Order: sequence, then structure tokens, then C-alpha cells
Amino acid sequence: MDLIAPLATLATLGRIFALIGLSIVTGWLLAYASIRNRRFEAAYIPLVNVFESIPVIGFLPLVLVAFVLALPPPFGVEFAVDFLVFDAVAWNIWIGTYQAFKTVPEHLVEVSDNYGFGFFKRMKELYIPHSIPRITSNIFSSFADAFFYISVSEVFTAGAATAKVCPGGTCATFGIGTLITEYLSTGNFLGVYYSLASIAVAVVAVTFALSRLSRWAVAKYGVDTPGAIRRYAGRWRGMVPSPWRAVRAQMRNVSRVAARPRQADLAGEGSRRTGALKYGAYAFVVLILAYLAYSAFRAATSVSASTWYGFLRETPKLLEYVGADYLRVTVIALASLGLAVFAGYFLATHRRTGDAVLPLVQVFAAFPAPAYFPLVFIVTLPFLEHALPFFYSEVYILVLGFLSCFYYVFFDFWIGVQAIPSEFDEVTRNHEIPFMTRMRRVVFPSTMPYLITGLSSTINSAWAGIAIGEFWPNIAPTVAPKGLQVPFGMMYYISSNMADGQIAAAAYVSVIFAVIVAVYGVAFTRNLMDLARRKYVIEEGIFAA
Amino acid sequence: MALRHTTDANTDLRASSVLDCQSLCYKFPNSKTIFADVSLHTRKDEFVAVVGPTGTGKSTLLRVIAHLIPPTSGRVLLDGVEVCRPSSRVSLVHQSIATFPWMTALENVKLVLSGSRMAEEEAARLSEKMLSLVGLGGAESLYPKEMSGGMRQRVAIARALAASPEVLLLDEPFVHLDELTANEIRKEVYDLVFNPETTLKSAVLVSHNLHEVVQLADRVYIMNGSPARITDVVKIDLPRPRDDHHPRFHDFVDVLYRGLDIRSIR
Repeated sequence: MDLIAPLATLATLGRIFALIGLSIVTGWLLAYASIRNRRFEAAYIPLVNVFESIPVIGFLPLVLVAFVLALPPPFGVEFAVDFLVFDAVAWNIWIGTYQAFKTVPEHLVEVSDNYGFGFFKRMKELYIPHSIPRITSNIFSSFADAFFYISVSEVFTAGAATAKVCPGGTCATFGIGTLITEYLSTGNFLGVYYSLASIAVAVVAVTFALSRLSRWAVAKYGVDTPGAIRRYAGRWRGMVPSPWRAVRAQMRNVSRVAARPRQADLAGEGSRRTGALKYGAYAFVVLILAYLAYSAFRAATSVSASTWYGFLRETPKLLEYVGADYLRVTVIALASLGLAVFAGYFLATHRRTGDAVLPLVQVFAAFPAPAYFPLVFIVTLPFLEHALPFFYSEVYILVLGFLSCFYYVFFDFWIGVQAIPSEFDEVTRNHEIPFMTRMRRVVFPSTMPYLITGLSSTINSAWAGIAIGEFWPNIAPTVAPKGLQVPFGMMYYISSNMADGQIAAAAYVSVIFAVIVAVYGVAFTRNLMDLARRKYVIEEGIFAA
Repeated sequence: MALRHTTDANTDLRASSVLDCQSLCYKFPNSKTIFADVSLHTRKDEFVAVVGPTGTGKSTLLRVIAHLIPPTSGRVLLDGVEVCRPSSRVSLVHQSIATFPWMTALENVKLVLSGSRMAEEEAARLSEKMLSLVGLGGAESLYPKEMSGGMRQRVAIARALAASPEVLLLDEPFVHLDELTANEIRKEVYDLVFNPETTLKSAVLVSHNLHEVVQLADRVYIMNGSPARITDVVKIDLPRPRDDHHPRFHDFVDVLYRGLDIRSIR
């Protein structure tokens, strides 16, 4: 074996972290625009929620039209892949940053108003530091999500539609997802194992680094947290290359002048500058949305009226497909919730076991299931096919869906239990309140905001596993020439049509799905979240005047 | 004047103890010892207080007494039986007023009766009675956010009383209240300790407010040092109800103040 697997892993990691970096920077700008303008906020948050809910595969028709077919070959495919990875990493970082900006303590905002901080100083000294703990904790989910999708985002097939720009209609870019797909299709299992080992090393290293980063960020940037702040100043200094140090020294001189305390800007110069930035952020969003809308328009107008009529006639059947997938998502969400509640509560209340088990769960969650799932499939297929001849595919889809999302509600519930003020835990223990009453009357209500957030992310991410599982033609050509397929499902419909080059059909059902997701977002997530904010805020139970 | 005696000098007193804490020591995991060799006891109808500079582990001591935290060494006896797990017979009222925001006043109190196999109506009746005892008759259906800090603390006290405790542990229960409200609730708490309608036999108060301590306590344990120990015990024999204009009231405050070694503050 040569170095190709480690190199491919590094390429994938580089792509993921570059796009995480882009998500963080854009997230700061968009969050700032949101907290400064209610109308922008009113549009931005629901839009991000909808985008977050649409699985990467739902964007395939769009990226084909917007990038692969519109731009020259190497750039088109690379941009398409980058967009798909961005889709996996950006939304939760954007939402996390927005929530952090929104919850900056009011008295600190007043201090920055009082001393007339401009945009850059306000961002540098207040908003960005306050957002660091949330961003660092969200990077983990983004990383896990991006890795989960590598087999779909780095390599995708669109049949005849992309035959001109991609060899054999399969578009691929260099990365570990592409490499594993290639090894599996050729039956090179040694290559698969080698790639998995390479991913394992990367996942363990990244998980370890992120958990350290997160702990440091919470200790340093959290408001009144008990953790001790570790100072790295001396160590970093030696690590920064000297040319950069010289540039940085110059920048510091400039920033010292810019950051000199000044009196509150009564004439409103600061607000003009903030306004310019706000419009810059608007322009950025409008530009992207306009380009995507234009691409969607091009896709729509390239389809004949009779084809559209055909799609409309198929709508009831497509809605049945959507219903079938929602049923699968419900089963997966309930299983994840069950595991979260019992295992999560146990680990949160048994600290030593939690300290030992949680890092393992974290590594397992970050390890991309699509990378090792074909091996599980190959080993278990003969037994499952024999035991459940009509349902074995369904079992694989549900397992894949579960692996793609269980950790969201698990970790959120675990954090929620940890966040219950110790006084309440002591009340329940002091008065020997029975376990079930404690769960029903205290733990569930206390963790309600965390449960809803976690369950919502779990439901959104369950689509990822379903999307891959319903149509996986090359999962293991040696033992299953037809692959893993369940023809009764919306994700199957999208993926199989994409593979056949029927982009319009895939796009049509993607739009239906987007509408349903938007309705679900308003009806389920927002209403429940509102209820949780209105009634189930445990911190309000502590009165400390 | 104040009568002083060491904690282990009077074995007769020990024999009649409701609560008897023997040589308690607590050490945080991987950290230094917070307090060591702390022995204190309460007798029937006795109100005991613990004072000490901040950081001496007074709140931790209450949690150890309630067995919410097991002691590193030493033991706690209740009516001569060792306390080996949390029990509502030793009931804690927190410094931060803790009421469940999604439950009404009545539901907050009724919660502690859920493990008692009491019929629903009986539990509701008892909860109403406890709320009435703390002056909250008619406020049963209010949610915590619809109540003042004083009302919330009354709910927390009613909840502690509903569990039929023998010993009430009070961890600076009035610190978040304004002086007028605090004074009013102090009187109520004192009356409750000696009210035949409750099961209470004694109470242990932790406080920084020395006036409050002199107003309420029959005996005061003073903690000092690092690790903290009981350095003095002061008996307060002022007639009840106590009046802070009594000529000896401020003498007791001075005795307590002098007993505190503020240099030991960590």
C-alpha cells in the first residue's frame, strides 16, 4: 500500500476544515446582520432551518445545474463537492453563532455601546469571543456530518446528464470518500481496510483536538464558568513563524490606533459603518440566493410543459414516498430518543462511567458510517436475507439512519441533564422522589429545550442515512450486484433519478420535500421550541436576587 | 452571658440528641480537606446555627449532614440511627431559592409526596395545609414566576415541611430576600420549628448574618481555619420572642463576631 489513503484523508480533512472556516467567518457576518436587523433575522433563521433540514442529496440537482454543468470540468466538480460539504458543515455553525450573538449578556452590550465600540472592536472584543464556545462545540457536529457524507459529496453519479463533463457520468474529486467508493466497486478490500484505518487515525486525532479545544474555549470564553483557564501565550509565540510575527506586529500598531478608547459616537458615524457592513452581508446573501435561484430557474425552464404535467400527475405517489420516509425517520428518532434518555441519563449521573464512555461515543459518532457500513453489510447480508427475506433492506436503512443521527439527541440530552442546577438534583434526592416521577416531572421538563433541539437535529440528520441507504447501487458489488435498494421512498426516487440523469424529476421531488420540511420546521420545531422557552426554562426556577 | 462548652464535653446532651454529627470530615476529590473533625448535635425543639468565614464549607457541611454528599470520614446519626443515604427526614432548604418553574405552588409542594404512597387527595390536602402554614393560603395555583422571592422561598419551606422532616437544614435561606420579607419569614420559620402541627424536632441554620443568628439560634457553632474546624460553641439564652433592642442582643453579636477568624477567609 502506498500513501494514497492518508493523502486522500488529508485532502478530505483539508476540504472540510477550509469550509468550516468559511462557515465560521460568514456565520459571524450573517449573525451580526441578524441581531442588528429584525427583517433580515426574520428571513435568515427560517431559511437556514429549511436548508439545514434538506439532506445533501436534496441539493444534488441544484449543484449539477449551478456548478457541474455551468463551470469548466475541474472547477465545476470541485465547487459542486465544496458546496455539498459546505451544506453539511455550515448550517449548525451559522445557527450556533446566531444563538451566541443573540445571547451576549445585555450589560456587556451596554458597555460596548457606552464606550462607542465600532464594528471591528465590537466583533473582536465581544461577539466573536462570546461565540467561540458554541462554535467549537458545533465544529464537532459539522465535522461528523461532513465525514458522514463523504461517499455522497465527493463522488456522485448523474448518468447521461453529466456524461460530457465527467467520465462515465460519475463526477468525483480527490478524497477518501472517492477512494473508498473506488475500492469497493473493484472489490479491493485491503484498500478499504487501509482507508478505514486512515480515517480512524484522523477521526481520533480530530476528536481529541476538538474536545481539548472545546474545553479550553469554554473555560476561557464562557461567562463565569468554573473551569481553569490555561494560558498558552508562551508556547504559541514559539510556534508562530517569524515573518508572520513581523506582519502581526505592524497590524497591532495599526489596531492600537484604531482601538483607542473613544467617547460614544453621538453623530452616528459608527452606525453608518455598521450599516455599510450590514448591506455587505445582505449583498453576500442576495448574491448567493440569486445565483441559486437563477440555476433553479434554468433547470425549470429546460423542462417541457408536458414533463411538468407528468410530474404533477405523479405528485400523490411522491407524497406517499415522502410519508414512507417520514415513517422511517420517526422510528429512527424514537430509537435515538430511547437510547439518549436511558444511556444519556445514566452517563450524566454516573460521572466516572461517563468520562470513560463519552469519548468513545464521540469517536464512534464521528466515524463515518458509510465508510464501514459496506463491510457490515457484506458480513451480515447472508443472515439477514435469510432471517428477514422481505425486510432486510429496511433494517439496513434504519440502522444506517440511526448511525447518522443518534448522537445529536444523545449529546444534547446529556448536556441538558448536566445543566440541571444542582439544587434541583438535591431536592429530588433529598425527598427520595421515585425514578419515574423524577424523569417525568423533573428531568424531562428541565431538559425540554435540549431535547427539542437534539431531536430536531436528529430528525434532520436521519434523512442522511435514509438518503444513502435507499439507493446504494455499488455498496458491495461482489455479494449484492444490485446493491442496497428500497424502491418505496422519496430518497430512492431522488437518487435513482439522479443516477439516470433525470435531474428535473429529482429536482421536483426535492422542491416538494423542501416545502414539507419548511412546514415541519414551523409546526414542530418552532412551536415546541416556543413552548420550551415559555414554560420549561429550568434556570428560571432559581431565584437569586 | 454566653455559656461556652466544647462539643464533646457533655455526653448527657449527646444522649438526648435528635441529630448527632460525629467527627465529620470532607475532602473534595483530588483537592484539599474542606473541614475536619466537625462534631455537632441538636436536641428536641432546639434551633442550632453554624457561622464561619466564607469558604469554610458550611453549605457543604449541610449537604454532608443530609447525606447528599457522603462524608470522607465521620458519621451522622438521626435519633441514634446512622444516616447512610439521603432522606426527607433531614430536609434541606437551599440558599438559591429552588422551585420548579413549570409547577404551581401546590404541585411544587406535592412533588415531595410522590414517593410516599399517599392518596392524591390526601397529598393535595397536606400540601395546601403546609402552604397555609407558611402564609401562602390562596396562592396554590400560582407559578413561581408569578410570585415574589419571599413567596417562592415560602413555597420551598412548605415543600421541605410537607416531607415530614425531623430536622430542617437551612442554608442561608433569607439571603436573597429584602430585610422586611426576611424578618417576617424568620419569625415564621421559628414558629414552625416549634409548631405541634409539624413533625419538626430541630433545625440547623447556616448564615453570615449574625443578627439573624442571634435572633433565631439557641446554640451557635463557630467554624474557622483551613481545613475548617469547630473553634467555639456559643449558647444564646435570650428570652423569646427575641428583640434586637434587648441589652444583651448586641453582646451576643459581638461574641460571635470576635469568634470569627476573618484571616482564615480563603
